[in-house]
Amino acid sequence: MTDAELVRRTRSGDQEAFGRLVVRYYDACRRFAYHMLGERADAEDVVQESLLRAYLALGRYDERDQFRGWLFRILTNQCRNALTSRGRRSRRFVSDDIALDAAPAPAPLATGVEDRLVLRALAQLDPLQREAVLLKYAEGLDYTEMARMTGAGESALKMRVKRGSERLRQLLGPAWQAPGEDGHE
Amino acid sequence: MSDEGIRSLPTDGELTVDPVLADALSRQLAASYATVPAATAAELAACTRAVLQAATRDRAVRGAFRRRWWWGGAAAAVLVLAVARPWHPRHVQQEAHAAMQEAMGAPATAPSVAPVGVVSEGPGGVVHFALRLPAGARAVSLVGDFNGWDAAATPMARTGASAEWSAQLPLTPGRHVYAFVIDGTRWLVDPMAPQVPDADLGPANAVIVEGAF
Repeated sequence: MTDAELVRRTRSGDQEAFGRLVVRYYDACRRFAYHMLGERADAEDVVQESLLRAYLALGRYDERDQFRGWLFRILTNQCRNALTSRGRRSRRFVSDDIALDAAPAPAPLATGVEDRLVLRALAQLDPLQREAVLLKYAEGLDYTEMARMTGAGESALKMRVKRGSERLRQLLGPAWQAPGEDGHE
Repeated sequence: MSDEGIRSLPTDGELTVDPVLADALSRQLAASYATVPAATAAELAACTRAVLQAATRDRAVRGAFRRRWWWGGAAAAVLVLAVARPWHPRHVQQEAHAAMQEAMGAPATAPSVAPVGVVSEGPGGVVHFALRLPAGARAVSLVGDFNGWDAAATPMARTGASAEWSAQLPLTPGRHVYAFVIDGTRWLVDPMAPQVPDADLGPANAVIVEGAF
């Protein structure tokens, strides 16, 4: 069943159809959110909030759009909101470097051998650069789709991708030299 | 590809990522994505359930807020109740009524109707009170210091089919303070009679001084 059919059924009150959309897109959303935010709990909260907003806004969804793109537009906005509120939280509460050093690391995802180097490097990018790099190289979008999704101009997005990529190369250093030789391919 | 002119905006070439770097990034991020485990069926079901429950709550709240006329009506009702305070003693109500009249731009002693009151003294100290109301009233009573301000003590009689109400009662010589009560709830000060402030009954009232000392 296509996304459009599932959306139509959801609009007419079929909750199971919405469940199928969740099954279809939850993992993709969570992977993106996790790489944007770097924390599992935050990523899951953001994905759930994005799905809620999508569900409430289904009446405004234009079927000419790809559902995935529409959902990711909501998701990228929610990630930005989460980063903004996290920034406010940390400005308000976190100022003790000793306590920060002693604090346990953020909980990783429960299973899997995550690539901590990549996550750590991504976390050091400007959030807009991180978003652009992920949309470009992890989601495989072209600049036109990215512009529609983020509301930014294509030139600005190209600049973010360029700078983000260069910064990642610096941050990853030696680990970056032969990404294809470590069995990831 | 470098141009030697004035550079204000980056050229397309300057915005292009080195293809080797782009390829490495794609592979590295795909590998990192692949390490994120897929959600279990239980996690997916829990998420769906949470979204649907939250959506139901959200719609209920939004639905309530959407009826803005209801909130406007409720706010107006609260305002009226706060000013009129019907649970307060009568004299407080009267003050509130006057305050409300003032707030509406009318003098405190001029009710929304324009009554005409007449007080005349008959033989034997019997005093005749008459009140003509432009608007129809179901019941009018006379209250004053002579009947303990009891709205049930001295009902006024309608004269024929007209809107004139009257009552007669013997009063002892002296100064008496009085007012009318319309339909058992609304206090009315006779605007044509001398008025005095009264500590117990509100900011203004009418008074009659008996001449037969």
